[in-house]
Amino acid sequence: MSTNTASESDSGPVFEYDDRPIWSRVVDDPGPAMRWLAVAGALIAVELGAFIGAILTVLDAAFIGVTALFDVLFGLVGLGGLATGVVNFQSSVSGAITGVRDAAESLPTLLSRETIPNQGHMTGPDGPWVDTFLGLEPALAWAIRVLLIVAYSLFAFYWLFQGWLVFRDNYRQADWTPSDDVVDRLRGHRWGQFGIFVLALFLIMALFGPALGPTTVAGNIQSPYSNEIQHFDEEAGEVVTITAGAANFDSKSKGAGDQNVGPMTYDKFERFHPFGTLPNGRDLFTFMMGGARITLIVAGIAIGLSSLIAGSLAMVSAYYTGVVDLSILTTADGIVSVPRLLLLIMISAVFANHWIANVLDGGFLLALIFGFTGWPFLWRAVRGPALQVAQEEWVDAAESFGQGSRTIMRKHMFPYITGYLLVYASMSTGGIIVGLAALSFLGNGLGITPPTPAWGRAVSLGQTYVAGPSWHISFIPGAMIVVLVTGLNALGDGIRDAIDPESQSDEGEEAAAGGGA
Amino acid sequence: MNKSLYILKRLGLGIPVVLFGLTMSFLIMYLGPLDPVLAILGRDATSADIRQLRIALGYIQPDGTPMPVWRQYGETMLNLFTLEFGQSWIIQRGVPASEVIANRMPATLWLGFWSVVIALVFGIPLGLYAGLRSNTWGDYLASGGGIIWRAMPNFWLAVMIAGSLSAGGALSWYRGLGIETDVIGTPDAVGNLFTMVELFDGVPVLELLFLPIPDLRNMLIAFKWILPAALVLGSASMGNEIRIGRTAVLESINSKYVETAKAKGLSPRRIVVKHVGRNAIVPLLPVIMGEFYLLIGGSVLVESVFSINGLGNLFFRAILGPDIPVVMALVFIFVIIQVLMNILQDVLYTLIDPRITLGETQE
Repeated sequence: MSTNTASESDSGPVFEYDDRPIWSRVVDDPGPAMRWLAVAGALIAVELGAFIGAILTVLDAAFIGVTALFDVLFGLVGLGGLATGVVNFQSSVSGAITGVRDAAESLPTLLSRETIPNQGHMTGPDGPWVDTFLGLEPALAWAIRVLLIVAYSLFAFYWLFQGWLVFRDNYRQADWTPSDDVVDRLRGHRWGQFGIFVLALFLIMALFGPALGPTTVAGNIQSPYSNEIQHFDEEAGEVVTITAGAANFDSKSKGAGDQNVGPMTYDKFERFHPFGTLPNGRDLFTFMMGGARITLIVAGIAIGLSSLIAGSLAMVSAYYTGVVDLSILTTADGIVSVPRLLLLIMISAVFANHWIANVLDGGFLLALIFGFTGWPFLWRAVRGPALQVAQEEWVDAAESFGQGSRTIMRKHMFPYITGYLLVYASMSTGGIIVGLAALSFLGNGLGITPPTPAWGRAVSLGQTYVAGPSWHISFIPGAMIVVLVTGLNALGDGIRDAIDPESQSDEGEEAAAGGGA
Repeated sequence: MNKSLYILKRLGLGIPVVLFGLTMSFLIMYLGPLDPVLAILGRDATSADIRQLRIALGYIQPDGTPMPVWRQYGETMLNLFTLEFGQSWIIQRGVPASEVIANRMPATLWLGFWSVVIALVFGIPLGLYAGLRSNTWGDYLASGGGIIWRAMPNFWLAVMIAGSLSAGGALSWYRGLGIETDVIGTPDAVGNLFTMVELFDGVPVLELLFLPIPDLRNMLIAFKWILPAALVLGSASMGNEIRIGRTAVLESINSKYVETAKAKGLSPRRIVVKHVGRNAIVPLLPVIMGEFYLLIGGSVLVESVFSINGLGNLFFRAILGPDIPVVMALVFIFVIIQVLMNILQDVLYTLIDPRITLGETQE
């Protein structure tokens, strides 16, 4: 934007406004930035491998998304050869990224299972434990690791926010912006903070999933027969080595009598199961951590995509109105007219054997479907605010200054509707998570491809055991979904109260989370 | 605007919406990577059979060239709009799709009826209660329950309830009451609810009076089959009703006309029913009408958990089949109902609140 004249005027409030680039302001007063950076650097250094891994995962997903779009485009215009080339290029680059990621994730980090191991065994009938952290029993070692990871991550989240405060107080161009009030109001909003806390917990699960579980998805769920464990065999009277798969076979939770490994118990092989085991003997906690990652990736891509579509279409329809608005309305109504879950089932069943269903274990296709079917709800919700802002005088003024329509939308309309977009996006993310779980629950080629963990599949696996001692298999995954969806709704409520403290609106549309699935 | 003219205009605007929804479904089902021919014929089909079937289904022309997409599309749309749904390919081969659907309709209608009743009977009063006694423990309990109720996935709730009611489950004590049937299975819509008391040499006396007599035991069993599934299906909208009912009551209870009514000396009951209730219904209306939408989507999951042989289950099996005529017929019915419900909602607005005029509610 152009230079500010307020500080030169004689009357009215005097605003501080510094026009230089941010680095020169930092150079002038490096103290606060250095102090913040020192702690941030220490936080990153102890977890370098995990950070690189997380960044590469996001990069991989983005790369696959872009190339998939190109592939579909080439396929549509009949350039089949080019499309195959894109697919080959995609799989080779994605493979390379995955390789680097695996290497990065194997770097020693402070909070990993290598530093604080919990997979040990007893040397005799009554201990002592070997190979565990400080010789503690596995449950304690695991609990210490989980507590440290959660404490570390929550502090890291807090430190990020602290960084924004440092920027705002010391280095920002403007003394005050409307977003400051929003943040300050959110700081006093307990219900909204509950939402942020829940979302942070689930993000931690997705980021630190491999380190949080008592065992790993690869070793316990995907290829259990190529992973060996040691345990003390009472009959043989010595420590024996067997594969995780063989141990899983004898740790099944199938309800009856001794065929149950419940929450917070050990199985016959001295392995600790915080959430118990699945009917196939695999660890439910590890399964849930793996499921958190794919769930949040899919929900994130999907909600990003539909917010993008909804936001741009809302601005276009509010700016041009008339025929443009009416045609978008018809398109949106047409998509909404087919109940969403039916549309989801339809598309995922039709594409079940297509190559795109292999990307991200089927998650990418689901993210696209959720994204392209979810925008009408968001669009309806932000069209009102967009219409309001389009009638403001500053938009007229910008037009009379000769600003182009795209500039007006980006600079004058977008900042106004962002808040509303955030509110409705956080609320409809709950619907996406429930829908994703519902598809995995239905199975039959829908949802996330086995053996990659998916929350809905755990519910479906435990369905027949709910009445017996193995109730945990279905109960825990569903309860986790309830907590996450409640948290997302709370976050939406919080942001709404923060951007517009006078609004009491609980309009029908926004109450969609969770419904229908 | 004149009411009938407005309805006609809305119906006209509904046509492109229906067309769009159906076109989308057509594109997915016919142009997506699906091959129903192999699913119908099975593994050991000869190429002659395949060719013959492709011609019969309208995928290729008799001379072997592929049927143009626009002709397939035109034919499909024409058939749907003239209610010629064709024959089922897989689920009940050769039976008209309309008959397949009609057979399963009663179970879903029965389920939908009860879930709407449950949602309305519990949801709205709880919402009004929470709003009228705001910031009391009762309010916190009702609105907190609504928030969690709303966040619960239908399919999970269904699994939990079905599990607790089955033998050995946490709620299985009801079996001591003499109703030992299971909750899993297709509920009987009306068939067994009534018995004819036969008197006078086999002439049912009530039939003479054209009145059926309810059979108590059968009724209990029938309710037990339907109520858990209906409760689950109605749960999402029930949570919404509590939440929105509460806000709506809070908004109207602090308004001037309620104070005026109080000053006039109206009884609290009359104020709540006449003034608060009526105005609280307006924001609730989209939620109530939206229930239909939730019912269709949710019925796929609830019917699959409770093994109810209804439309949701049929749709799921038809998609997996793939039994395209049945799928298209179901989508057609759902889309038409959806559009009609939207129009009905706007007309109902004007009946509840005369200040709302037709034509302005299109937003």
